[in-house]
Amino acid sequence: MARIPTATLLALVALVLFLVLPVVTASWVAADFGIYFAYAVFAVSLGFLWGHAGMLSFGHAVYFGIGAYAMSVVTLGMVPGLPDLKSTWIGLVAAVIIPGLVAAVLGWFLFASRALRGAFLGIVTLALSVLAERLAINADWLGGMNGLMSVPPINLGLNGEGADLYDTIPVYYVMLAVLAVVVAGMTWIQHRPFGLALAAVRENELRAATLGHNVARLKIGALAVAGALAGLSGALFVVQFGFASPSLIGFALSADVLIWVALGGRDFLVAAALGAIVVRTLESRLSNALGATWPLAIGALFMVSVVLFPRGVFGELITRLDRLRHRRRTRRA
Amino acid sequence: MERLAIILLDGSNAILVLMLVSLGLAIIFGLMNVINMAHGEFLMLGCYSVMELNSRGLPFFLALALSPLVVAFIGLVAEELIIRRTYARLLDTILATWGLALVLRQAMVLIYGPGSWSVPAPELGEITIAGSPYPVYRLVVMAISLVTIVATFWFFFRTRSGLAARAVIANRDMAACLGINTRRADRLTFAFGAALAGLAGAAMAPLISVDPNAGLGWVVPAFLSILVGGLGTISGPLVGAAGVGGLDSLTAAFTSPVWAQFAVFTAAIIVIRLFPNGLVSRRKREA
Repeated sequence: MARIPTATLLALVALVLFLVLPVVTASWVAADFGIYFAYAVFAVSLGFLWGHAGMLSFGHAVYFGIGAYAMSVVTLGMVPGLPDLKSTWIGLVAAVIIPGLVAAVLGWFLFASRALRGAFLGIVTLALSVLAERLAINADWLGGMNGLMSVPPINLGLNGEGADLYDTIPVYYVMLAVLAVVVAGMTWIQHRPFGLALAAVRENELRAATLGHNVARLKIGALAVAGALAGLSGALFVVQFGFASPSLIGFALSADVLIWVALGGRDFLVAAALGAIVVRTLESRLSNALGATWPLAIGALFMVSVVLFPRGVFGELITRLDRLRHRRRTRRA
Repeated sequence: MERLAIILLDGSNAILVLMLVSLGLAIIFGLMNVINMAHGEFLMLGCYSVMELNSRGLPFFLALALSPLVVAFIGLVAEELIIRRTYARLLDTILATWGLALVLRQAMVLIYGPGSWSVPAPELGEITIAGSPYPVYRLVVMAISLVTIVATFWFFFRTRSGLAARAVIANRDMAACLGINTRRADRLTFAFGAALAGLAGAAMAPLISVDPNAGLGWVVPAFLSILVGGLGTISGPLVGAAGVGGLDSLTAAFTSPVWAQFAVFTAAIIVIRLFPNGLVSRRKREA
């Protein structure tokens, strides 16, 4: 019997749980989870970039924010010169392609001559997120500080004239489906030649280059893929939340997503996704009780996790279960 | 003409303080290989510290002198509790210091609230430079920065402890073999770097609004400075800070602060593309 990887097992268990969740809970819980799934897609994009390709980003929300704004601008009919364009589908395409291109251009500057690595990459991305937030606040045509309000929900028609996807339960299942496809698809990419080469670059850049891999091109590719995926998650977020503001593009959300991925586990995409969902759930339940202490608590927890369990909670779980299964298997044999 | 003089003076002020901040970052990185993401928060702590001490009745300049010590102590505690546990994992030190930054920022929100405070500047009057009045306190800030930078260089290049520190930068293992206590050097370096940031924050406190995010506006240009200037030397960050601070304040004066940030970031990215090792690079022999 072929052995199913532990991460896949965990993903399937989580999928079953999420499939029955709306049946047993109130509808506002499902509405919350629809948004958490969009955040989970975002976490998967960072998990891929950081955990798989080894590129740490302190400004990942930039792509999320660009995606959210792109979707909003298109569905609100604000594209310059095309006032009749309101298609959700074109918005979706824009929300994927624009952040992907931005990431690719940035990657070309950063990786084409000096392979900017580790901490330095982190610094540039940090600067980028601070800058992007300032630019969004000062961009009057994007609503400035107030952002863009009443962004329409997903519209099934070709140009915004069809039925709205607005009810909680259908939106919940659409988001869950997208998340499942994204996790499965990105895991598939991890095992394609492109993904394997990226893993090689992560482990030893010099060796990968010596074996003939074009390291710069691989890194630019990984950044573009992660940026496009983050843009998609931003679009999925904004069609549910109905509001795009400068806080989506900036420093604070970049910090949040890094914490989700670190606490969940950066070595497995499922762990990153679950990290986002669990931290957001805890936050909505506890932040009323803890108030301003919540960010302090989550920051402290993050620090402890960096020092004591760098694999993250779900990453650690997967690794331990894996070892356990392996031991039982060898004992039986 | 008068406006130009003011712009140039304000620009030099920004450059000198930025040099102080970048120097602290560069020393910590050079000696310990730690990218200190909490550096801006040390600066922010310096602001709050001078505010707190001043409001308790201490004269401003005494508060200004004590604040770096307060921040150095906090840095020492942080190093002992968290940062030394991640030395073996370079990337994790960034995460640990970055987590520390979040915690420090939120702690200030809890203690002093999320709003901004102002620290009254000491009454030093104004002086007429090139026909326009200029606050003396800003000149004092420049003098403090300049003296501290010179003193730091004097320490590194003219004292025995500085020689030991440079030995650790050049080759940590060899320095340890020669009997230099590298653990002690790490601890002192981190405290010293934190103190430089604290001093910068304390000196700038009356000129900026003191809020929990005060550090962010300084640490990003400081990071870009060391990135542009190159990390192999102690003077590289100063060159970087001059470039970044100069471009930032000149663009801000003639257009707007947002465009200034945009210009600095774009210029920094282009420099990284054209000069992969920074503007001031030293051939470093790989161990």
